[in-house]
Amino acid sequence: MDRRDFIRNSAMGAATVAASRLALGKEGLAHAEPVAADGITWNKAPCRFCGTGCHVQVGVKGGKVVSIQGDQKAEVNKGLLCVKGYHVGLALYGKDRLTKPMLRKNGKLEPISWDEAIEVIAKRVMKNPAGFAIYGSGQWTIPEGYAANKIIKAGIGNNQIDPNARLCMASAVTGFLSTYGVDEPAGCYDDLDKADVIILWGNNPAEMHPVLFSRIVDRRSKGEKVTLIDIGTRRTRTSGFCEHVLTMKPHGDLAIALGIMHLLVESGTYDKGFVEKYCNFRQRVDPPTLDGKAMTFDEYKAALKEYTPEKVEKLSGVAAKDIRMLAELFGKKDLKITSLWCMGMNQHTRGTAINDLVHGVHLLSGHFGKPGDAPTSLTGQPSACGTAREVGTLVHALPGGLLVAKDEHRKEAEALWNLPAGRINAKPGYHTVEMWKRFSTPKAKGGDIDTIWVQVTNPAQSMPNRNALIDPSRKDPDKFLIVSDVYPTQTAMMADLLLPSALWVEKNGMFGNSERRTQQWFKQVDPPGEARDDCWQLIAVSHKLMELGHAGMKDKDGKWLFHTEKDGKEVQIWDWKHYYDINVDERLFDEYRKFSRFKHKDLAPYQEYVKARGLRWPVVQQKDGSWRETRFRFSKFDDPYATKADIQFYHSVTKDDRALIWFHPHENPPEMPDAEYPMWLCTGRVIEHWHTGSLTMRIPQLHAAMPQAYVEMHRDDAKALGVQNGEVVVIESRRGSVEVPVWIDGRGSPPPGSLFVPFFDETILINRVTLEAHDPLSKQPDYKKCAVRVKKRPPKVAAAAGKG
Amino acid sequence: MTVSGLVLTLENDVRTRARALDALALDSRITCGEAHGLRLPVVVETASLAEGETLCESLRNLDGVAFVDVVSIDFSDDVSNPGAA
Repeated sequence: MDRRDFIRNSAMGAATVAASRLALGKEGLAHAEPVAADGITWNKAPCRFCGTGCHVQVGVKGGKVVSIQGDQKAEVNKGLLCVKGYHVGLALYGKDRLTKPMLRKNGKLEPISWDEAIEVIAKRVMKNPAGFAIYGSGQWTIPEGYAANKIIKAGIGNNQIDPNARLCMASAVTGFLSTYGVDEPAGCYDDLDKADVIILWGNNPAEMHPVLFSRIVDRRSKGEKVTLIDIGTRRTRTSGFCEHVLTMKPHGDLAIALGIMHLLVESGTYDKGFVEKYCNFRQRVDPPTLDGKAMTFDEYKAALKEYTPEKVEKLSGVAAKDIRMLAELFGKKDLKITSLWCMGMNQHTRGTAINDLVHGVHLLSGHFGKPGDAPTSLTGQPSACGTAREVGTLVHALPGGLLVAKDEHRKEAEALWNLPAGRINAKPGYHTVEMWKRFSTPKAKGGDIDTIWVQVTNPAQSMPNRNALIDPSRKDPDKFLIVSDVYPTQTAMMADLLLPSALWVEKNGMFGNSERRTQQWFKQVDPPGEARDDCWQLIAVSHKLMELGHAGMKDKDGKWLFHTEKDGKEVQIWDWKHYYDINVDERLFDEYRKFSRFKHKDLAPYQEYVKARGLRWPVVQQKDGSWRETRFRFSKFDDPYATKADIQFYHSVTKDDRALIWFHPHENPPEMPDAEYPMWLCTGRVIEHWHTGSLTMRIPQLHAAMPQAYVEMHRDDAKALGVQNGEVVVIESRRGSVEVPVWIDGRGSPPPGSLFVPFFDETILINRVTLEAHDPLSKQPDYKKCAVRVKKRPPKVAAAAGKG
Repeated sequence: MTVSGLVLTLENDVRTRARALDALALDSRITCGEAHGLRLPVVVETASLAEGETLCESLRNLDGVAFVDVVSIDFSDDVSNPGAA
């Protein structure tokens, strides 16, 4: 068999198994995984892109990734991949990979050695530890995030670490915490296979989570009935698959949820038994808190009274009959209903409130805790859950759901980290928007953050109101920006110190996906040039800080925070030559997993994840020594910690095993269209590109498929403005402006008065226009609505003539 | 050359399905496997990834094909020779 035949046969084998699984729901007779031959070695890894957590098989030959297959053994994707997933291997091979550390000297980035780079960072920290911050992301692997968190919380002690996950799922976190007392969804993707009705709240999974969406739509081709309801501010690719498309006004989701609750209560179709056994009622206080103020059912009913279908129609733009239709569905006990949401509900100045309300609709109607009955948030990054949320790389958090503000939590963390009592600071650091605001404010005016180390993210493109939050720092000589990245992104090119990083299978790693599934992979190829692991960079800086005399880098016995031994001898993991003498990921993960017990988010030992395609926590050891994952939390039939009742919210805010059903009134957003700025602007993503496009814009096929950002505009608005498809317009807000070509009747269709611009294109920086207003509890900014005006771009010739 | 493994989900309607199968048989870049119900595994061999992408898109638009799922992709030639991409 020649090489061509081998590859062809492998591809046919994989496709046959996938076809068999799709058709029959089980594996066929063909081989289930790629065969090691033809010089290609295969290994598993989760996809590098979104939070779905698909597994791929990575084919490596000659030190390069040469082939990608959907992993037949993976429950998440069952061998299938989306357009980004099957190109993921090419993300490593963009032509402009960063390969040398570089320091800005006289305005120009010049190559330096790694030793110099590590020393520059350590000396900068020693100069002003209080002003140093780390800004990471939900793309940090679990060990990377854990190392960064330990350096800041156990070592430097200022709690100045936050992830870009603050921009994407912080409101989901506060929603889970305020409703159940503990973060992350109770259900999992299995719900998508069982639900009769799936409601998409401001969610476009056909583009953002395509493998999950095809899993849903595929049920129809098996003859199953599943009703899809799209609630959003514009028609998307998802809308075409939905039985009901309810186009709402921005912020209308709160009114819709309140309208459903009102009808359930008024008609008596809410689930009285479920509510009486498992729920309490809550209302907000001012300033808002996660535990609010108790209210009785009668007070709750009275508060809902004004949200009649007719009033909700006025507030939300969704017809009263459709509000009734939603309430009738929730009122039917024999249906299984799953709600899905992502950025639409989270990037919202009332993000916590709308998260609470959607959980509340499910609790009130009893559509909870059975397969197919679940309120489930999805994440945009591969480890927003595993790293940002579970490791707690947020300014207020410690690993495992512990909080810096709680005495007993700090004590637990100090014990596990072997720190002297009182080492961990009780005061949270600055959340993302505040951190960057202070970095962009002169020291004399209160800008007390003077150094930020950015890893695995691109805030110069992804932060809202870039003109105010990012750019001023670049003109202030007191401010020092360190960036670790793989490509010269917008942020990288602004750096004072730029560090080349390893990417994905160029290093060991672990991610945690949207359904509580923790995944592991091994390094499979070397990074290019002098690029090195982010985790090593953090550890090397920690060691250098200790050498320079930073007391926080030692535990109470005088040992370095990352002291590592093998066979009784210290392994010099701070020295790159020795970093892979031991599996640092395994050592860090097995230390971190001790934290996972506090909130019953139990993780298994590292080696269990080596064997699996991910395991959903809590992963609990059985009597026979095996480890069992949990699909449905809080439900006695599956969750080993739910022992007292069929449903037990064992981390309940009210300490009585009950969840909270909240009342939050509808309120208008902080900025709305007016005479000066008459249109709404919504921003988001497209299927071809992942977030700021720093990886996918370098994959030729994806770049070719979607080479440039655009503004979706309603035909009537385009006609009134006198612009044609492809014509460039100027979008202006009170904060900034951007020039962008128009797409009329494009992939998405906003209603009249609304615009949509994706943010993947670094040549069209829509975040110069967006608003940094954020939710008061989650501190997550609202990228989905601000007021703008749009005008035709003045002819360049005329402008030049005018100047002359 | 790139080689991709796909699963085509065919339409229920017999006549449109037959037309789709005829169209697939006429394209020398496509090798069909044994169907499992409406799911047909196929292998696509194209000169470049870009051509493979275009062919996938045309399969998505082919009458009688409801969905196209990509299962595997081999781009060793593209990686060895980046200019080919």
